[in-house]
Amino acid sequence: MDPIELAQPLAQLSAGALESLSGLPGVQYADVRAVREETESVNVRDERVEGVERGTSQGVGIRVLVDGSWGFAATADCQPRALRSTAVLARDIARASTAVQADHRVQLDDTPPAEGQYITPYERDPLEVPLAEKVDHLLAATAAAREAPGLSWVEASTDSWRRQTSFRSTQGACVDQIVVQVGGGLEAYAVGGGEAQRRCYPNSFRGQFSSGGWESMLALDLTGHALGCATEAVALLDAPDLPFREDAVLLLGSSQLALQVHESIGHATELDRIMGMERAFAGTSFVRVADQGTLRYGSGLVSVTADATTPGALGTFGYDDEGVPAHSSPIIADGMLVGFLTNRETAAAIGQCSNGTARADSWGTIPLVRMNNVSLHPGEDDDVGLEELVADTTDGVLLETNFSWSIDDRRDNFQFGCEVAYDIRNGQRGRLYRNGTYAGRCLDFWRSCDALGGRGDWTVWGVPNCGKGQPGQVARVAHGAPTGRFRATVGVR
Amino acid sequence: MCALLDLAADALALDGCDAVEVGLTRSDVALTRFADSRVHQNVARVDGEARLRVVVDGSRVGVAVTNSLDHAAIRRAAEQARDIARVSKPDPQYAGMPSGEQAYSAAGRDDGDTAGCSAADRAGLVSRILAELPAGVLGAGYVETGRVERAIANSFGLTGSHAGTHVGASVLASSDVGGEDSTGHAEGGASALSGLDVSRLGARAARKVELGRRPREVEPGRWSVVLEPAATEVLVQFLDYLAFGGKNFNDGRSALCGRLGDQVCSERVTIVDDALSPLLPGVPFDAEGTPKRRVPFIETGVAVAVGHDRSTAAVAGTRSTGHALPPPNPHGPMPAHIIMEAGSTGLDGLVEGCERGLYITRFHYTNVVHPLRTSITGMTRDGTFLISGGRIVGGVRNLRFTQSILDALRHVEDVGRDVEMASDAFFGAAVAPAVRLTNFTFTSTTAH
Repeated sequence: MDPIELAQPLAQLSAGALESLSGLPGVQYADVRAVREETESVNVRDERVEGVERGTSQGVGIRVLVDGSWGFAATADCQPRALRSTAVLARDIARASTAVQADHRVQLDDTPPAEGQYITPYERDPLEVPLAEKVDHLLAATAAAREAPGLSWVEASTDSWRRQTSFRSTQGACVDQIVVQVGGGLEAYAVGGGEAQRRCYPNSFRGQFSSGGWESMLALDLTGHALGCATEAVALLDAPDLPFREDAVLLLGSSQLALQVHESIGHATELDRIMGMERAFAGTSFVRVADQGTLRYGSGLVSVTADATTPGALGTFGYDDEGVPAHSSPIIADGMLVGFLTNRETAAAIGQCSNGTARADSWGTIPLVRMNNVSLHPGEDDDVGLEELVADTTDGVLLETNFSWSIDDRRDNFQFGCEVAYDIRNGQRGRLYRNGTYAGRCLDFWRSCDALGGRGDWTVWGVPNCGKGQPGQVARVAHGAPTGRFRATVGVR
Repeated sequence: MCALLDLAADALALDGCDAVEVGLTRSDVALTRFADSRVHQNVARVDGEARLRVVVDGSRVGVAVTNSLDHAAIRRAAEQARDIARVSKPDPQYAGMPSGEQAYSAAGRDDGDTAGCSAADRAGLVSRILAELPAGVLGAGYVETGRVERAIANSFGLTGSHAGTHVGASVLASSDVGGEDSTGHAEGGASALSGLDVSRLGARAARKVELGRRPREVEPGRWSVVLEPAATEVLVQFLDYLAFGGKNFNDGRSALCGRLGDQVCSERVTIVDDALSPLLPGVPFDAEGTPKRRVPFIETGVAVAVGHDRSTAAVAGTRSTGHALPPPNPHGPMPAHIIMEAGSTGLDGLVEGCERGLYITRFHYTNVVHPLRTSITGMTRDGTFLISGGRIVGGVRNLRFTQSILDALRHVEDVGRDVEMASDAFFGAAVAPAVRLTNFTFTSTTAH
């Protein structure tokens, strides 16, 4: 379908919603988002199709600022009368907020109102790929995995999203965009002897995800990797548990290091969290506003950028949900904290402008400070990869592919579980361990980084399940990371 | 506005298929959020969902979903589900749909005051919470009210409908003056506003801030603990997730595999799923229309059952227990109205029975370490205290636990007489009492 043609009804809807605010007394600022999202999810298990779901959700969210307090109302009913009543409700909610204001007045930054359009570059819209083709693609992968002797079962899945957003504000912002995302993966299971082991390809949480077309799903080559993935799942049944060891040398595979970035840098540098807005639920951060420019977050090897323009990444877009154009913003430079993830409200509070990380997960939710593609830079030597780092390690442990994650309410004390662990002795990868965990404290961990893989070892991993906020929202974000070497406690049980 | 069930008629008449199921939801939910003792987010959302499951050729299944609750959109979704089914593969585990009218019990409440709660009313509730906090103590949390209508119908004559209200609130009181670094939390929920005393939540959180000032550090290791209901609830919810689902059980991934009939917990522990209980907002049918009933999973410490939908029940050679989630649901059934039954000891009595231990208000960001061992890890937060000589003697810095749930529940010494509804970040609300247990394993500490 022609993207411009696709966008027109939503543009009319958002314009109508903005019009519904006209004449409402007391509104100092308002924005509207009309959103239509189409989704498709396909799951297979062994030779069965376990489930196919196609969904559509459309509606309008109206956000209003009255006397320095926010109100937001959203409706799936897109008729003019419903839009007007929703606008009035948003205004009335904002008025109610002023009753518990504590002398605080929300100020917005000076971001100029943007006008523009954006569409994800893609070759083949994943929502236009025939279902039978998707099913056959996944079943070929599970068939390949089932060649592994001892495998209990294998699952494969693919998810596709096409989100159209039309944003308008009373300041004159006028933005329309279409973001197309896709991904998938394999999960191989082996059960026996009191153990149930799982091995995923290319990553856990349903695989690898990106913005783009079906071609990026095909590039994962699930079938080509299925047998190896399944074979390792079976091997884990006979592997010993990773032994406990304090202050171990730890090599983290790229996808696990991406999640470490997510939990202990991405969330920790969200300015709304730092300012206490998430205190009661997701928690705060050990980072303080005053730490900008002064906190040594990691070793000199550690540099992190929040970049919504990374080509093909899951957290890539043209404009955030406050109409701010996509940014690339340094967060950590050579180990020093230099920036935060901000929206127009939090940035204004520290005298800055938003770096475009306000995102909502639907028309029915408000934009929160969210990650885009928050990526750890690769090391300087392009030729260094996992095998070179193993060869450079005398005594350590390699952990790969996340199984579980937990971090405290200030993003400091963490513990992760991984699907596989390998002993490293004298530069050689040794025995396989199962049920591997590692734990540590955030700054200790990042300051211990003494080696990173180079550009060729660097992958942007999509994280499609980032939860935050009340009511809960789920964002699709990403993190580039290479293999990295650190120190931590391993084998915690 | 037409009744939800009326919207199903066109879809049920869809031709060219063997079976049609229509699940409908209409929701009107509002949430006021506060931090630094001011409202900073305040939202309302009116939404809907029509979920169509269509079966062709006996067992080819397709599902389509729309949030537009009008006849044309639902009809289009039904046709889309049929198109999906036609290109899908036969599913040997499709287990049919229930037929005929079902007998549904009453569940939850549909309370007019709760449904009509305005933003100004919620602001008033926030003010009542904050009024309980002393000077210098700031409040953060939320107040949510909502009404959700649900209906289900299928082409075999099954129909059901329900409307229920809910209210939830939490408060985190905090003081960070002069390095005192103290927080206290309280949370509650009910089916109607009259069932929730928000002032009491504020007062409880404030008391914890006072008790926790100048926290000391204690060594990790094995401790006796008194868990408040919100902390117990996390253990019970994760046990539900890991062990009570019929698909995990059929796959050999449940800790109850081969152990039904065994004593797996202390005899003081009984855990049921009961959507009909007045203790929580419930719905009288599951996503397949199977009537809800009280289903015990752990009875006086003995594992007695797991939860099934029609598909997993057929594989296991039993009947659905009414735990189907909305289709297509590759994760299988999961009980969603978990209750751990109360004991007879007051909260003070649980503390008095502990010579030396830790008092835990709630856990944070808990996750699975080992599914079959029911091993999980997470942090304490917002009210962690040292118990000495049967009384709370002061706050302690937070700790990380890494612990098998079944092992913990084997070491339960006493169970509180008062249950509360609390919510977990991953799983939503459940009901549990406070408990006292021994040998709870903490593996590290943190700086606050």
